[in-house]
Amino acid sequence: MRGISWQGLAVAFGALGLLTSLQTSEDENPHARAPRDVSLVVTEGAWLRAPGADWFAQRAKAEPGRFTHDATAAGGAGGWVDSHGEYSLSEIEGEWAYWQWASAERLTDGRQDFVQFCSSCHGLNGDGYGRSGQHLRPTPRSFQQNKFKFTKVTADLPSDEALLSVIKRGLAGTPMLPWDLSDVQLLDIIQYIKSLSPEESGWRDVYSQVGDAIEVTEDPWTDTKERAIVRGREIYHGAASCHLCHPGYVTNEELRVIRKDPEGTTYRENLTYPALKDSEYEVLGRATKVMPPDFTWHQMRAGTTTADLFQTIASGIKGTAMPQWKGAISDEDLWALAHYVENLIVSYKDQPAARSAFMGGLRVSGDNK
Amino acid sequence: MSMLSTSTPSFAFLRSRWLGCPLALMLTSTWALAQDKRWGPGEPASDYGYRFGELFWLITTLVSVAFALVVVLLIVPMLRDRARPGHRASFDHGKSLHDKRLTAVISIITFIVLDAWVLVIAMKDLREAYWAIPAAKDPQTYKVEVLAQQWAWSFRAAGVDGEFGTPDDILTTNELVVPKDRPVSFNLTSKDVIHSLFLPEMRMKKDLNPGAINLAWFKPVVEGEFSILCAELCGFAHYQMFGKLRVLEQGQFNEWEAEASQLASTAFDADDTEGHWAWDWQE
Amino acid sequence: MSSDHIHPEPTTFLRKHVFSIDHKVIAKQFLWFGLIWLGIGGIMAMMLRWQLANPGVPVPLIGGLLFPRTGGVIDPATYNTLFTMHGTIMIFLGLTPAMIGALGNWCIPLMIGARDMIFPTLNMLSFWAMFLGGAVGFYSLFVPLGATEVGWTGYPTLSTTVGAVGQGETLWAIAVFLIGASSIMGGINYITTVIRLRCPGMTWMRMPLTVWGLFLTSILNVLFIPVIGSAMIILVLDRVFGTSFYVPASIMSGGTGGDPILYQHLFWIFGHPEVYILILPAWGVVCDLLSFFARKPAFGYRTSVGAMVVVTVLSALVYGHHMFTTGLSAMLGESFMLLTMIISVPAEILFFNWLHTLWKGSLRLTTPMLFAMGVIFVFGLGGLTGIYCATIGTDIFLHDTYFIVGHFHLTMAASALFGTFGAIYFWFPKMFGRMMSERLGKLHFWLSFFPLVLVFCIMFISGYAGMPRRYYDHTSAEYLRPLQHLNVATTVSAFLLGVAQFIFVFNFIKSRWWGKTAPQNPWDVGTVDWTIATPVPHYNFKTIPVVRCGPHEFSNPVLGPDTDWIYQTEELPG
Repeated sequence: MRGISWQGLAVAFGALGLLTSLQTSEDENPHARAPRDVSLVVTEGAWLRAPGADWFAQRAKAEPGRFTHDATAAGGAGGWVDSHGEYSLSEIEGEWAYWQWASAERLTDGRQDFVQFCSSCHGLNGDGYGRSGQHLRPTPRSFQQNKFKFTKVTADLPSDEALLSVIKRGLAGTPMLPWDLSDVQLLDIIQYIKSLSPEESGWRDVYSQVGDAIEVTEDPWTDTKERAIVRGREIYHGAASCHLCHPGYVTNEELRVIRKDPEGTTYRENLTYPALKDSEYEVLGRATKVMPPDFTWHQMRAGTTTADLFQTIASGIKGTAMPQWKGAISDEDLWALAHYVENLIVSYKDQPAARSAFMGGLRVSGDNK
Repeated sequence: MSMLSTSTPSFAFLRSRWLGCPLALMLTSTWALAQDKRWGPGEPASDYGYRFGELFWLITTLVSVAFALVVVLLIVPMLRDRARPGHRASFDHGKSLHDKRLTAVISIITFIVLDAWVLVIAMKDLREAYWAIPAAKDPQTYKVEVLAQQWAWSFRAAGVDGEFGTPDDILTTNELVVPKDRPVSFNLTSKDVIHSLFLPEMRMKKDLNPGAINLAWFKPVVEGEFSILCAELCGFAHYQMFGKLRVLEQGQFNEWEAEASQLASTAFDADDTEGHWAWDWQE
Repeated sequence: MSSDHIHPEPTTFLRKHVFSIDHKVIAKQFLWFGLIWLGIGGIMAMMLRWQLANPGVPVPLIGGLLFPRTGGVIDPATYNTLFTMHGTIMIFLGLTPAMIGALGNWCIPLMIGARDMIFPTLNMLSFWAMFLGGAVGFYSLFVPLGATEVGWTGYPTLSTTVGAVGQGETLWAIAVFLIGASSIMGGINYITTVIRLRCPGMTWMRMPLTVWGLFLTSILNVLFIPVIGSAMIILVLDRVFGTSFYVPASIMSGGTGGDPILYQHLFWIFGHPEVYILILPAWGVVCDLLSFFARKPAFGYRTSVGAMVVVTVLSALVYGHHMFTTGLSAMLGESFMLLTMIISVPAEILFFNWLHTLWKGSLRLTTPMLFAMGVIFVFGLGGLTGIYCATIGTDIFLHDTYFIVGHFHLTMAASALFGTFGAIYFWFPKMFGRMMSERLGKLHFWLSFFPLVLVFCIMFISGYAGMPRRYYDHTSAEYLRPLQHLNVATTVSAFLLGVAQFIFVFNFIKSRWWGKTAPQNPWDVGTVDWTIATPVPHYNFKTIPVVRCGPHEFSNPVLGPDTDWIYQTEELPG
């Protein structure tokens, strides 16, 4: 063949071979992997756990005609029937559970939006190892561990609505933004996130409990805020013992008085500082630690109004040392706590002079540093 | 979306039907005009900030004169030299020596007035201010390592011990606290894509490139809260990548630093090696 | 020489109108192609402006159709796609074909007295390469995750898989590469045609300045499009084959590997000349139109040519002013600042010559003339505001704000667009054998001119006030919220500007098929293209013309009192 140099061709193919060998090898650090051949299509739909009967009763009011109660369903136990066919009821070993169907198309939409908006931190597989998530503390959620911190539900897992409100509000002080996406997009993303649960766990586990955000009950202290703060301070340092992890906002003397402890009782060192706590949340094979916030210093993730604080305290924070307080103490005391914490935030956060006067006063007067 | 949906919920009903949209435009225009308006970047809050304004208005003056001249020379022939019966254009190829000299003289004059003048001031500004990075050895220099990511800023200050990579390093997200009247020096880099640290009130802007460290500095001279914006497209939430810059008076800042260092040491998890990013300070 | 091979006129529809090798047909193909894309890019701009003035409000009329999933609201990803594709489309698929493709193909052979381009088949290929590029770009809108979202500058690492996972960005790079290939083919053709096919007597200094502008543009195309071509290939390698030319390891692991700044250098070595690629033909057209309608010789023809040549030479040496905040060394920064300031001198000489051409002329304020004078105004605004951007002291603050958006739209978009409009109104009679409506044309000019100046001047204020560009919603940051009134004002002006373009569309379509039949030379202009019949016959010139004088011998006293112009093919009396 005239005009084609075989040596030239050989060099060209050699160069091509060299190029493909230039590929970056798989990095040790899962954060640094270069994304390639990312799948954008989900081929199978999934049944995911849905909230219980109470939630349906509420939804039936919001969407008249969609949900009907069938007394004969669930082997005579009674259950809700969805005319759209999106929800269904199943029984395993005598346990009745609601399931929600996420179609392959919907999961594909969710997958694509997830890759688009969420994967830079949460990772292309939702494992929390996104490139932008490296070195980041607190770490981005891994959606394979079924732990959701600020959803404000008392159940194991949050309802779609609870997750939606977290994504829309964002987590203040972290790179998790308040997302300006439409509800349709966000709900598709949520279905996809839920489908990332490993088999037989989380959203795919018949024994999981799914709940809606805790109802904000009526604030009993609206006209008596001053008394609420005093009461909240007593609960904080007394019955609830918040000062074990969060800072104590009292001197040792005052704490002894509040707790009615005998003279000479000592408390933890650095009482006016928070104490680092273990969490159940694993990153790179080891459990991470979390810092309980100092309300006069740190930013609150899930809102600073009394209602927000009420919900957060009531529900606890999943996977961390912060337990669920709903039921453990009365709603009245929960509200008092919320008022007390809100007062701490409003009075001292980002106000260096006021804060150092307050905290400094606690530290000089007692043996607590 | 955030502003509209939170502060003016009464507009929500307009969203459902397209007929409402022209109305929405009118209403939002009115709304926008009723807000506090700003026409400029506000007062500078850094010691070199005034240089931007001075140079900007100098250029504006020069440019306005030049442009006014262009407009006059454009309008006069439009009014005076219109084609009409009996009127004939003057015949001039403009290739006489006189014309060439005129061209040269006018070029040189405009270059000196419009360009060289500005150039000299700009070079002076660069050497005296923007690129005069303060020495790291100077104890007055407050050093901050900035690690940007999609879509947040992480700031690391050395803390009380003055060493980076120690437990008392102060780590903040989207919030930077600096002392007033001390030069603040940055080491800038990014984890993922290119960002740009834009402190509008300080008149400072510098890109953060992954894999390399950029330097920048400013010296705040006004106490208060200021803005941090991202000025390089970094993805979908580019517009939400903002933070807060707090400038504290020296005494308050020292208290703040001591407290933040103490809290950082409390939060330090020695085994969590991946969580500890820091690099040797670069000059 | 093409005179040696005269092909018979094609007879089939396909050969005559689709795969034609006739430069006139290719010019019209480029024109239609460019105008359609300008329309698409313009609609995208309107949607962007809508979102900025009314964040989160559904786009009226077309929103529900285009974005059904969000109920007509533009989401942040769509917004980024829109501004990226707006830039790409306007530059590569709108102005490049309409200005360089259509104007170059039409004017070069006709104005230098040639029968066709020197490489007619390459010419056809140039159009179809661009068509393919456009098709790939259009297709990318429909892949999963949508078209590219990283800005028309496509900076890595955002444009690598680190920041953009879908195929949109890869397809974008391929589309830009194909369009670049088209421009190189066109460029080679234009350069060779101008050098080899000038008719006897058409010396370099007798060429119309339009041809000079197109010739110099072609040189820039051939020199610098390969640079962006290579940048795009490397980008595709990084994206598809997993190389890391642009992707570094993080600084915590040593920062080794690729370098995203490499791309910026490559991009702007092309990107800055691209500004001149778009503006040089417009300058040439303006030089000619001002002389034609002021009935006066182009003042300082030789200095104008010289200025354009100097701009061509300097164009790639100033690119660093796009990168003042990337961490350029102080020495480089100051050098680029100085070079950038030097490039203002030739531009200033052109202004001097233009204004001198008008002075003491006999102005016929036709539509093409209005657009040519409009270019002086908007390019004056755009060029002078360039001083702020060239000066690092002010650029540090203004970089990546709306000030830059206003500046480059006035220089490379508005000026090139006004130049294109002027050229279309001017050559339309020769192209389509019909006159465009002057009344509608003037209306189009005035209704475009004021909103256009308003749109970009308000952007100067926004930029000065610190409003960053490429923000989806300026009301989310506290610092920017008090600037929202400027956004609203810009949007209102932009909508007025958009609506005014319908006058052009109407005028163009109506005149194309139902306009008044055009005489052979409606403008009393002497260049060679007006010596031939309308419509232009196959192979343009029955016999190759001989040029005997320059293109701008207007109002020459030797012509006598009855006429003020002469064809280039005629001898000056006396």
